[in-house]
Amino acid sequence: MKNNLHALWQFFFGDSARAFGSASVILLALLAIAPAKNHFSEWRHYQKQYLHLIRGRADAVTLERHFQGGIQQIWIPEQQVTDRCTTCHLGMKEASLADVSSVAFREHPVIPHKLTEFGCTTCHRGQGAATTVEEAHSATEQWEQPLLPAKYIEAGCGQCHLENQTGTPFLNQGRQLIVSYGCTHCHTIKQGDGSYVTPDDDPPSLKHIADKTTREWVYAWIKDPQAYAGTATMPNYHLSDDDARDVSAFILAQSTPLEPPLQPLKADTKAPADPAAGTSLYGQSFCASCHAMQNAAGMMVGGNVGPELTGIGTKAKPEWLQDWVGNPSHYDPGTMMPHYRFDAQQVVTLTGFLESKTEPDFIANVHLDPATPEQIEHGKRLVVENGCASCHDINGIKKPENFAPELSRIGSKPLNQLIFVEGVEHSLPGYVAGKVRNPRAFGPSLKMPQFKFTPQQIDAITTALLALTDRAQSQPPTMRIASVQQTRYQPAGNAGQLMRDLRCFTCHMINGHGGDMAPDLTWEGTAVQREWLTQFLKNPETLRPALIRRMPKFNLTDADINTLADYMMTVYQTPEFDRDSLLVSQFNPAQVEQGRQLFYSKFACQSCHIADYKNDKGYIGPALAATGKRFNAAWVYHWLKDPQALRPGTIEPNQHMTDDEARSLTAFLMSLKSGGAQEAMKK
Amino acid sequence: MANTIDRLADQVRENRIWRSIFRSGTGESNLHRALTVQQNVFLHLFSVKARKRTLEFSATWYLGALTFGTFLILVITGILLMLYYHPSVPQAYADMKDLQFVVSSGVFLRNLHRWSAHAMVFLVFAHMFKVFYRGAYRPPREFNWVIGVVLLLMTLLLSYTGYLLPWDQLAFWAVTVGSNIASAVPVIGAKMRFLMLGGTAVNANALLRFYVLHCVILPFAAVVLIAIHFWRIRKDGGIYSGESPAEGDAK
Repeated sequence: MKNNLHALWQFFFGDSARAFGSASVILLALLAIAPAKNHFSEWRHYQKQYLHLIRGRADAVTLERHFQGGIQQIWIPEQQVTDRCTTCHLGMKEASLADVSSVAFREHPVIPHKLTEFGCTTCHRGQGAATTVEEAHSATEQWEQPLLPAKYIEAGCGQCHLENQTGTPFLNQGRQLIVSYGCTHCHTIKQGDGSYVTPDDDPPSLKHIADKTTREWVYAWIKDPQAYAGTATMPNYHLSDDDARDVSAFILAQSTPLEPPLQPLKADTKAPADPAAGTSLYGQSFCASCHAMQNAAGMMVGGNVGPELTGIGTKAKPEWLQDWVGNPSHYDPGTMMPHYRFDAQQVVTLTGFLESKTEPDFIANVHLDPATPEQIEHGKRLVVENGCASCHDINGIKKPENFAPELSRIGSKPLNQLIFVEGVEHSLPGYVAGKVRNPRAFGPSLKMPQFKFTPQQIDAITTALLALTDRAQSQPPTMRIASVQQTRYQPAGNAGQLMRDLRCFTCHMINGHGGDMAPDLTWEGTAVQREWLTQFLKNPETLRPALIRRMPKFNLTDADINTLADYMMTVYQTPEFDRDSLLVSQFNPAQVEQGRQLFYSKFACQSCHIADYKNDKGYIGPALAATGKRFNAAWVYHWLKDPQALRPGTIEPNQHMTDDEARSLTAFLMSLKSGGAQEAMKK
Repeated sequence: MANTIDRLADQVRENRIWRSIFRSGTGESNLHRALTVQQNVFLHLFSVKARKRTLEFSATWYLGALTFGTFLILVITGILLMLYYHPSVPQAYADMKDLQFVVSSGVFLRNLHRWSAHAMVFLVFAHMFKVFYRGAYRPPREFNWVIGVVLLLMTLLLSYTGYLLPWDQLAFWAVTVGSNIASAVPVIGAKMRFLMLGGTAVNANALLRFYVLHCVILPFAAVVLIAIHFWRIRKDGGIYSGESPAEGDAK
């Protein structure tokens, strides 16, 4: 054996010539490794597989003509995109490969963007420059951003699209949750267009809290807000009994009496004879458009603009409720709740109804001794530490600035700047979702409280947060689709004052300012007839049979109604055409008949609208049976010609009618003068 | 067969073009051999004659030659890498990725450059230990020892400046720390740091400065010093073979 080895050594390295020769051969072999590795690289393997796949298909010739070998890339320098994904993903643009089982070669699902203009990593992340599967898809030693998991893919859209998109329900929901749960009270979020995300949860001021509720209720509430109302957006701070006792002590101690003070209970007005009067007043006033309440069956019924009222009787003191129902601005000048003009009897009736909605269990076990100064002092410290004033106005405590980390670029946060704990997936989506799900899991000393979200909501919020990337901040402005920003429009004069008092803007949008619950009124003066408008303000009837949310009755005086109607008819006019440019007197019966044909046959309007309550069943759009009483002919005509021009975003389709068709249809619609929906129902 | 090759070789060497380049001509005499070395710009740095003892492995472990070999590899691979590299902030790291993923054998090229650089630093130290422990630094070779020390410095500076060029986190922080160390020098420390980085932080200017140092200034200085180093070996009596200084003088 030893001899053999020796002979071998002698053969290869026996003398200098042999040694030189052997060494040269070994070196050559080693040098051959580099080109060999290049030749057997992964992407070549995938290209061979792809060729194999397409050669077995019916349209092999076309596919092969489209195929280009070698490394492919999408290069968009101004967006810092160098994506070589298409080196292996060769079938991205081949519609005939939509059914291929291997994801690698399948056609990309249809999106409104060209791959060559946006690249791949813009939305999907991952390492675009890489040409190996591991490096391109995963987080590796040299690359921190792996592919975005499919369930968060809408975050890609959100980098450019700051407005709501119909194709991104998840992202929209996440953004809505961030706004409605008031995340940005503590966290600053500056979007790519420079605008800041502003919360709309409207947390109440605590400056006069003692007028409104009791310390026992405050104590139980801060212990667990969702125990009082499942829909409450206030998070749980997991306070100990002692801490909750001290915080409630301070909250009550800092409260000052309202100015002017609350009236004592109106004991002189009798409770209503009819016990159902309260329920029906609650219904007539359409309180449920904004407030939810659990019904007898345990179902939550109503909107989410105002707080849930299921246990309001346990929470609010009766004298405060009477004051609030009478005029909410007295307690909270910034409230979104309208000033209903209830008379004294109605106030008592409605208050009585609300007082009966109690949850006695909620505070049954709360027994608090009078607070000591030390407890109040400790409570104040806790309130400052927990940043309560980020959301609530509190006497003597300033709103803290930058209380929590800014989230404007959270979607690009390097992992090495994050601290992970056990049970949280080691990835950015994992971290963000973990924080939203259970913030205190990251350390007991962390201040972020526990929100109550469903897993689906957590994923939606994570999606919205992951959209806040460096790319979103730094890309050219031309790439960005801005969100719709509210204007600061305020109507002037007496009418303006009335509209503010009635909080019209909580639901209606006018000139880009206001809510989206009810129709945009910017051009209402062109659209409707004055007669109809005054009737409607006096006694609003539902225009859309399918809606639960309806315009409430505000019990306006005739003078108020005239002021509003005058203002709206004068000011809210479109500059595009004259209200009186088309008059009903210009139509003849033949046109009306032709319009009827168009309505029922050619355009089949009855699938969404009702022209005749007896026969039509369309519930999508508003009932049109009273069009002749409500609208101006010119408006109807222009609406039919191009609905989106008058109200951007309306779902009414543009049928591209000819002038004659629109005129005839207008003639028909203006001939419809039956009563309102409720009248029709009664019949 | 062997005769044919020899005859062909002779014909080439007798050729007029060949003779116009290599004047020494053919011949087996010592004079011819001496002229071959003397009249060649590269070879004239070396001694015309060498002791047989100095060519044995045990004499030097070939450490100097190996160091020079790694230097040559570094120059060649470095020039090839320069074809793919832009010393600019947005491009530098992307170029690393291109070398890794797109350039044929780009990873091999980078690794060859990197490992040769590590090997060179190691070999320079080994070479110096060998010289030191054998006493080869003693007169008349003390000046060449000093040149060698300066060459060590060049090697280290080349390593350090090359470290920044990939423009990754490792590079950035290594140079941040390194330049902060420089600023600890009394009185002129801050100025030195500013000079090094072309600013107050590791940024585009620092990258450009390090690139120019790494690819132009330091290699040029190293080549000149290596030339002097080799020249001095010849002038100091060839490679040290363990003879006493007196013997060396007597030559």
